[in-house]
Amino acid sequence: MTGSGYSYEHMFAFPTSRPRLSDDLVATLRPVTLAKSRIIPLSEPWASLTPGRGLRRGSTVLVHAQPGLGGLSVALGLLSEASDKGHWSAVVGVDDPGVVAMSDLGVDLRRVLFVPRPCGAWAETTADLLDGVDLLIVRPPSRAVHATARRLMDRVRERGTVLIVLTEPSSPWPLPVDLSFHLTSSRWMMSSRLDARYVTLRIGGRGEAARRGEHVVMVPDAHGRAVTR
Amino acid sequence: MERLLALWAEPLSEERPDGSALRDYLRVLDVLGALCPFVEPIRLGLCTLPLRGPSRFFGGDEAVFHAVRESVRDVLGLEVSLGVAEGLFCAELAARQNVVVAAGQTTEFRRTQPLTALGHKELATTGRRLGLYTVGDFADLKSASVAERFSAAVRVLHRVARGELAELPGQRDTRLVARLRSARGEDVVGDEQVGFFGQRSAGDDRAQAAAHRVRHRLGPEGVLVARLHGGRVPEDRASLAPWGSPSRDLRDDAPWPGRLAGPSPTTLLHQPVTVDVRDAFDEPVRMGARGSLSAVPASLVPLRGSRREIVWFAGPWPLVERWWASGRRRAHVQVLLDSGEALLLSAETGRWWLVGIYD
Repeated sequence: MTGSGYSYEHMFAFPTSRPRLSDDLVATLRPVTLAKSRIIPLSEPWASLTPGRGLRRGSTVLVHAQPGLGGLSVALGLLSEASDKGHWSAVVGVDDPGVVAMSDLGVDLRRVLFVPRPCGAWAETTADLLDGVDLLIVRPPSRAVHATARRLMDRVRERGTVLIVLTEPSSPWPLPVDLSFHLTSSRWMMSSRLDARYVTLRIGGRGEAARRGEHVVMVPDAHGRAVTR
Repeated sequence: MERLLALWAEPLSEERPDGSALRDYLRVLDVLGALCPFVEPIRLGLCTLPLRGPSRFFGGDEAVFHAVRESVRDVLGLEVSLGVAEGLFCAELAARQNVVVAAGQTTEFRRTQPLTALGHKELATTGRRLGLYTVGDFADLKSASVAERFSAAVRVLHRVARGELAELPGQRDTRLVARLRSARGEDVVGDEQVGFFGQRSAGDDRAQAAAHRVRHRLGPEGVLVARLHGGRVPEDRASLAPWGSPSRDLRDDAPWPGRLAGPSPTTLLHQPVTVDVRDAFDEPVRMGARGSLSAVPASLVPLRGSRREIVWFAGPWPLVERWWASGRRRAHVQVLLDSGEALLLSAETGRWWLVGIYD
């Protein structure tokens, strides 16, 4: 160890090896907002599937799937990079989240709030949390009322949050969204146990997001991560 | 020594995966607490109360027994066995045998118990070979001779046998009080979640404020945070705790031999639900003692809902845990339904539970 490095380490009472804050978090503290800071980062394989390689702040993202076929894995996968970079997220209305699976997907659990049972107040709870977190997954228990959906999406736009709505055929989202992942099929690979699952996603939405076509993603793989096939 | 009334409820002594044993035990404590404020939880299925005060209040021992039996029957519809003796060790034995030992007779009662009552198998075997059949025979040995021949654990048992110690080591479940408190929702709730490495950013503060609002709306159990800890199967490896509760920073990096490999379910049922697993002839599939299935699972019948076809299964992966204490046996099975859903099931005490969904 060099002498200068040694003294540098001992100049401060607190550890100097702080976790690096992401550029866009630092940028939010500046008076001028850069275009880049309007994007919440995504990890691979999600980044390459979305326009701008991330989720635009103020946008609403839809993940639509038959129950039990992998919609939850896709939605939780979208949190991983952001939570790793210091963004807070919340998961509302997912009754019994599999925390180990989230950790395997790369989600930093220290910055995730769970509201598993909002007891009929899912929209109010979501609205409360939109002020405090950067990403929010919500699974409405039934078909959302048009006015409620409109109010939530307006709030998302105003606060610069990203709302990820997880829907099933029995609980569709009544409004068009900025980016949507429709899970069209899912297939498990098995050996002596469940190994991996290929899910086919049809990606659509507004503007650049429209007509992005179908993609196959492996989620989870044998280690519980999401990877491109 | 004080005469203790011990209550023993066999059906509540076994942990059940849905936690109902603990909840029922808690209800027993609650009704007994209404009769006497000094009820002491010992371990699941067993609790004691001092007999002297209630006996005076209710007008005799028999009146107390009657009141206790009646109130437990009222809440749980359960017959419990009651016993009275001095000291916890003898009180539990009395309760299991449903006898009331008269005041001052505890020493005779203890001395007539078989040596196995001390709960040490090797001591019981060795004792039999030495011609020691009862606790009294063992108590008559000189302390010095016992110390010469046996281990420290047996020396403690010898003191119990002689009546110098009132209870066996390990007779009490030391974690029970904490578990009961958390089951009652009386966990100490701290002020806030400590931030990332103790440092706070503007984002942390905003999240705190939002969590406060939601907790205000939904109650203390409304907002949860995740904790990872060690374990072999997903349901043991993580838990959700109320936001703001004191955090124990347990890391999940220690090796756990026999850990369930592969991806974990994204939905892990907080309270597993019972399901029926049937074979191709619609007979229930059973888990054998050596962890083998009686037949190939062909369909799954949830408690509510329609029958689902099983197209593939993997396992069972038996998990023999805490065999030294409770003999708890679990085995896990992964099944794939014809709809494409993958589920994690567990078999325990002859029943099947839905544990997780690979959503």
